[in-house]
Amino acid sequence: MAYSLDRRRINGPEESFPPVFDSDALQWRSGDPRNDRAPLDIRPIFLQPGLISQANGSAYIETAKTKIACAVYGPRQSKNTAFSEMGRLNVEVKFTPFSCSRRRAPMRDAEDRSVAVAIHQALVSSVRLELLPKSTIDIFITVIESDGLEGCVASGSIAASTALADAGIELLGLVTSCAASAVGNEIWLDPTEEEARLANGTLVLACMPALGKITSVWQTGQMKVPEALVCMDTCQDKCTEIHSVIAQALLESAKK
Amino acid sequence: MASVSTSKAEISYIQSGLLSNPPLRADGRALHDFRTINLETGVVPLANGSAHLSIGQNAHHGGNGTEVLSAAKLEVENVEQGEGIDGGRIICTVTCSPSAYPHLSSQALEDLQYDMTTILHETFAHMSLLPKNLGILPGKKSWTLYLDSVVLTDSGNTYDALFMAARAALWDCKVPRTRSVEYKAPTAAPGSKAAESGQMDVDLDVSVQKSGFDTMAISHAVDFELPDYWDEGEVLDGRERWPVCVTLNVAAQSTKGPVVPYLDAILQEEAATPLRLLLVLSFPPGSSPNLHSMRLLGPGELDLSQIRDFVTSGEKYAQKVWEGLNGKLKEEDLRRGQKARDRFARR
Repeated sequence: MAYSLDRRRINGPEESFPPVFDSDALQWRSGDPRNDRAPLDIRPIFLQPGLISQANGSAYIETAKTKIACAVYGPRQSKNTAFSEMGRLNVEVKFTPFSCSRRRAPMRDAEDRSVAVAIHQALVSSVRLELLPKSTIDIFITVIESDGLEGCVASGSIAASTALADAGIELLGLVTSCAASAVGNEIWLDPTEEEARLANGTLVLACMPALGKITSVWQTGQMKVPEALVCMDTCQDKCTEIHSVIAQALLESAKK
Repeated sequence: MASVSTSKAEISYIQSGLLSNPPLRADGRALHDFRTINLETGVVPLANGSAHLSIGQNAHHGGNGTEVLSAAKLEVENVEQGEGIDGGRIICTVTCSPSAYPHLSSQALEDLQYDMTTILHETFAHMSLLPKNLGILPGKKSWTLYLDSVVLTDSGNTYDALFMAARAALWDCKVPRTRSVEYKAPTAAPGSKAAESGQMDVDLDVSVQKSGFDTMAISHAVDFELPDYWDEGEVLDGRERWPVCVTLNVAAQSTKGPVVPYLDAILQEEAATPLRLLLVLSFPPGSSPNLHSMRLLGPGELDLSQIRDFVTSGEKYAQKVWEGLNGKLKEEDLRRGQKARDRFARR
């Protein structure tokens, strides 16, 4: 990691390598069933709104090895003076340096942007931006621990939607998101980083179960077309279940 | 991507034109018509493969279209100490020329560039599309293919142009032939002068067993050389696997009737109907099409059934693009190979 020295920080040695552990590799061969879960099971979600008191709305989501904190500030006045009759939704994602197995630079990375764009795509149709001219809604997402990019995008969208609801911003519906991967002939929902690497292709779907509309599809890898459509179907069904989890969490936090 | 400022009246005009029966577009095209596509391969002499593609370029003065220049360059990487991966890897980048986007700030230009790079890179760099002849010395050296594309002008439908140009550059790419080389110390008498280590050319599959205890056939090849050849190398493997992209733009949401997608939007149409579905498909002969990437971009939402319909019609359009592109690439190969030789023979 020997690019430019960051003068604002105490830099470590120029070249360093993470240790290699022998037993960590997932022993999985094609045709084996999934380790420790059914193919269509997602990991249990812990979702807590209102943890960051400084922000207008916030949420913290945790699913096994993915931990994401989200804060929403807004609607507040747009910094740039150009008049826009629709509000702006600004999503910023930051991966902490200790979130991945290889240390990430504390500087703004290019990979942060692809996650931010995906979450923006998932959320932008759900917020009633036409009611907020000249305003910006800022969503700051901090990934404390990440277990694969697809998991980050899915959990980040859920956290951001919960935070928006917690902030009292008018929404058309809550956005839920689910990732799926095609491994061999099966479809596994909510893949971990290892499982996503074994897969032929992965798909992240974001939808609004209240309206039955899909706001974002992101498919990578190689899949047959019918397989991708089946993935989207399964994801959408699972999203409806996740929706009730979010609604429950928001209700409990509102009662307090 | 607000590349052009449109008024509400213009947006409404374009939208009602697209939804009317029969559909009306500014240049009189049908909903699924592409503008004229010009393709030329081998335009960058220093690259291993290159292509220049333009959509909708005016035949007289050569302006006005979406122009993309794509080049594939191979570089050697060390697998052990460097960042190379055994078997080779592909890295895609897209640069947006500032002259194409004069109204964007440098930060916004970089963001746009990065978005296009991600979409291209995550499709082409995937393991399933890795060509088989990118390795040089197994475990030691491999080729890294840098696929760089530059958007020279933008008048809508950049993603289709980028994928087509990238595919053409990869089709055109030739991998230099290599021959592995082994260094062997001379087995001279101990009293002889210290000579330089002898150099012996060894083919990779001949293994030298030093002793009876050497149960592993280790390849002693440590370096490679480029033999002199009259052509630039062998064709990059996996030509038939590279996918094509179609962008299905969604004309405004009408509550009654099916939502019809349209292809090849110009800038004003893209501004008026920002919601689109990107489909990247490949058509291997003899089996059903493969989906390599699918993305929904822009504000708006769709039903799952609408997406299903879009994917079905997208397959048909992508098939036509695939066949057209393949035909043109073969024609280009012919023009640069066979016909050039004939012309030279007749000179």
